[in-house]
Amino acid sequence: MKPLVFAARSLRREFRHGELATLAAALVLAVAALAAVGTLANRVERAILASASELLGGDLGVSARRSALPDAFTTQAADIGLRSSRIVEFSSVVFAGEASQFSEVRAVDASFPLRGRFAALDAQGREFTAQAPPPGQVFADRAVLVALGRKVGEALQIGGRDLAIAGEIVSAPGGAVFQFAPTVLMNLDDAQASGLLGIGSRASHRVLVAGSEAQVNRYAEWARANLPPAARVSTVEDAQQNLRTSFERGESFLRLAALLAALLSGIAVALAAQRFARRKTEDVALLRCLGASRREIVLALVLELALLAVPACLVGMALGLGMQEAAFAFARDMLPGEAPSMPWGPAASAFAIGLAVLFGFALPPLLRLRDVEPMRVFRQDMEGRTRRFDVLYLLPFVVGAVLILVESGSARLAGVLGGGLIGVALATLLVTLLLLRVLRAGGKTLRGALRFGLANLVRRRALTLVQVGALALSLTALDLLAVIGPSLLDRWRADLPDDTPNYFVLNVQPEQRDDFEKRLTDLHATRVSMLPLAAGKLVAINGQTPRASDYADEQRAGNWIEGEVRVSWSEALPESNRVILGQWHGAENATPQLSVDKSWAEMFALKLGDTMTLRFGDAEITATVASVREIDWDSFRVNFFMMLDPQHAKELPHSLIASFHVPAGTSLSALSREMTNLSLIDIQSILDRVRDIIERVSSAATWVLGFSLAAGLLVLLAALAATADERRFEIALLRTLGANRRQLTTAVLGEFAALGLLAGLVAALGAAGTGIALARTVFRLPDYLPPVGPLAVVAILSAIVVMLAGLAGTRRIARTPPMLVLRRGT
Amino acid sequence: MTIDSRIVLSADKLSKAVDGPDGRLVILEDVGLTVERGASVAIVGASGSGKTTLLGLLAGLDRPSGGSVSLAGQRLDTLDEEARARLRRRLVGFVFQSFHLLPALNAEENVMLPLELEGRDDARERAAAVLADVGLHKRLHHYPHQLSGGEQQRVALARAFVHEPEVLFADEPTGNLDQRTGAAITDLLFALNRERSTTLVLVTHDLTLAARCARTIRLRDGRVVEGDA
Ligand SMILES: Nc1ncnc2c1ncn2[C@@H]1O[C@H](COP(=O)(O)OP(=O)(O)OP(=O)(O)O)[C@@H](O)[C@H]1O
Ligand SMILES: [Mg+2]
Repeated sequence: MKPLVFAARSLRREFRHGELATLAAALVLAVAALAAVGTLANRVERAILASASELLGGDLGVSARRSALPDAFTTQAADIGLRSSRIVEFSSVVFAGEASQFSEVRAVDASFPLRGRFAALDAQGREFTAQAPPPGQVFADRAVLVALGRKVGEALQIGGRDLAIAGEIVSAPGGAVFQFAPTVLMNLDDAQASGLLGIGSRASHRVLVAGSEAQVNRYAEWARANLPPAARVSTVEDAQQNLRTSFERGESFLRLAALLAALLSGIAVALAAQRFARRKTEDVALLRCLGASRREIVLALVLELALLAVPACLVGMALGLGMQEAAFAFARDMLPGEAPSMPWGPAASAFAIGLAVLFGFALPPLLRLRDVEPMRVFRQDMEGRTRRFDVLYLLPFVVGAVLILVESGSARLAGVLGGGLIGVALATLLVTLLLLRVLRAGGKTLRGALRFGLANLVRRRALTLVQVGALALSLTALDLLAVIGPSLLDRWRADLPDDTPNYFVLNVQPEQRDDFEKRLTDLHATRVSMLPLAAGKLVAINGQTPRASDYADEQRAGNWIEGEVRVSWSEALPESNRVILGQWHGAENATPQLSVDKSWAEMFALKLGDTMTLRFGDAEITATVASVREIDWDSFRVNFFMMLDPQHAKELPHSLIASFHVPAGTSLSALSREMTNLSLIDIQSILDRVRDIIERVSSAATWVLGFSLAAGLLVLLAALAATADERRFEIALLRTLGANRRQLTTAVLGEFAALGLLAGLVAALGAAGTGIALARTVFRLPDYLPPVGPLAVVAILSAIVVMLAGLAGTRRIARTPPMLVLRRGT
Repeated sequence: MTIDSRIVLSADKLSKAVDGPDGRLVILEDVGLTVERGASVAIVGASGSGKTTLLGLLAGLDRPSGGSVSLAGQRLDTLDEEARARLRRRLVGFVFQSFHLLPALNAEENVMLPLELEGRDDARERAAAVLADVGLHKRLHHYPHQLSGGEQQRVALARAFVHEPEVLFADEPTGNLDQRTGAAITDLLFALNRERSTTLVLVTHDLTLAARCARTIRLRDGRVVEGDA
């Protein structure tokens, strides 16, 4: 026997019979879905990353404190072919006549901005796309202009130099979302010439680069190897804390969608492959009888599968890329920036996954036959065969695990999803076994066709388990796509409600408090919150003077040890804070108590009970760490790394910091005119920007979710139609015995309703559980609760769909004369 | 056309042709026959002469390409698949050459099926009684794969006559069985024919079985060559 010839021939023969055609169709569909969703998700993800670049102001940044980065950092960038830009940031007081304003100054060179758009208003209040300020010119936030009483076109002073105001900043790439002072943008040469950056200044220096992904990666590698002490590389991913979460969530959604599509496709191929293997069983036994060697048989089988799979996967890939291109054309408008090019990786991996799943599921049962005596196969008592463990059985599981890991790109997402699915599989197994037991015991009391349908389930126990399992897993994936995903997105959008505080006011003096609050009431301000703010210095940890070099993140620790620490206090735990360790101190305490942020606790290796000593002017306070908090930095509220208990802190010299929401368009100029010491920070534009990002990312994610859902539904229906097809022989036989259509329908409905309800129920519960776990660990939305109503609706709907699919598969058979089916034999 | 109430089954100018891979193939041509109530008819002929095809057409399991079949006064060709199923349930029992039991059901449940399809309440008792008649009272709860070929054929036979059909069609009921078992099945068939005056239409290669039938119809290449029309 020549295996290749034999394989090609049997492929052709079996294809004519339609058996292999279903397997090929499942494979084409699965690979198409996978390639389409994977590619789409990849492109959307890159579009999102590109917009994150705009926020960072470049594709990669290197920053250092106090001393400028060596020139090598720019020359190396140029050598690689990257564009680069230098930025220096420092705090300074800006003057105009008598008025002054404490500001964050950003000094930029002529290449600013490398990425994104720098928008400003001219003297007439018209928006224009601005260039980096040339020497002698500055751009300033509205708050600066208001505080100084200057307009665009007039002048202000920084470091003793007169600079012309070229425009009011609307949005400038690369700024921090939340800073304690308004921004002024000036020319880098001016800043250097003014002596503001001399030795001892606390400026932070940055080099930003932009170019192709490969170039940026090369540069990152070089930069990490040549990093001076106290410098660090920041990538787009860790651009800005507030927005980072948004991007991460968006990415996680896309990955989730792609992963679920992969899973559904995998299940479909696995089912088809198993069916194929079952049908092939007799052929293999026959070949053994006819004297074919094991090796020949295995070779022929593998070749036949390959001859089928390679073209099917290729067609699927092409189809998937086509679908993806169409979907992308629609999703295009929701994405920021330029259209990312078509990646080939996801399609190639879809191809590989298609092959892996097919072989993973089809080969083990077939290879197992090499040890079975052919006669036993013909006698159909395969059940009685000795069961022994075979390493081959692990193959499908390995394939599944690798699939989840590769596609998710995140161990956490993979872990949660994998755990959820294993849970669903186990629960299904248990519940199905229970149902079968009940049916076996109580089934006799059922009548006729219905009993026949349900008896089928009991009789084909193994197959039933596989089918319910596959169905439950696919329905879980569909539930996640249809219900959990969208509701998580809604929950995310609700993160920034319309009345989110849009103003911060710094420097309110305690004696101004009543007056200030009254003015806020007059302005119809809502959600007013005021916290005391004291600026101090960290002098000791557990009685020892801290040294930056003792800590892992030397640069960050050094920042806080040398710089100013801002401390607040309150009786109640602030909103959007969560105590994760220890106990919130409350009002009454015998000794000073302190609550620190989680990242602080990590940075300074703090434990509960450690003490920190802080100096505020002449006053010194030593407080015990009583709790560690996790802060939701996306909340756009004032948050503090350190919070003292009010009883011991209230006498410290302090000002108040207020946040509140005023209706859009409310002018606060009267407030800043009459209480001249206040600094007002308008974060409405930042809020708008973040909302815009959330909106875009979430609508793009909705698109991908919907697309996966459609692909998943198709795959599921194909799999179901195939299962229904398996019942054709029995239906024909019932027909011979005179069963009418209603009776046939009852039998099929009974069987499929049981399958569908069981799977739908377990899937709904599993999806809810997985959703909660995903919300907590991956999406960081700890208070998310899955919507019960929609889940129930989807569970019932899916049971109905399963029944309809079962019916659809049998209708055709009910219309053909039974003789035809019976002639074919079992 | 006069309807003779004694005629339970008749075929007129019956033909069947299929479009196969090598062109159109005529399987049956111009077959006519009448069978009286309570009669026993054997259809014989060489392998491939069209016996199974004819039986399927007579029992309404398939549609003819031409001609007509009447069963208990009903023209089958005027009925759709649904109506033919209803007719079969009432009037027809069928025994297949290769048993065709439902693997998901045990012996008793297989036999109960026709009664349950009619919605009868005494299905279980009747099935048990009929299985006892064919000597399987100890195997009620065995599944087909646990029964030998002869036992399976007996279950199939029990299933075919449990609802007391007018006509029992059997396609080589003894073909897969040894002589003794075959003889037992044959006895059962004729006891049925005698006691309940069930019309028997058998296809067989077994000459002794054919000889016990009141009439023999011989097919050659899809045409009736002996017997009456
Ligand atoms: N669906 C079909 N397509 C093509 N040919 C068919 C079909 N059904 C039957 N035939 C052919 O019709 C002829 C008669 O078949 P049939 O099964 O009726 O023969 P038979 O007399 O029962 O033979 P045997 O004694 O071997 O069972 C055969 O040549 C068979 O190959
Ligand atoms: Mg035959």
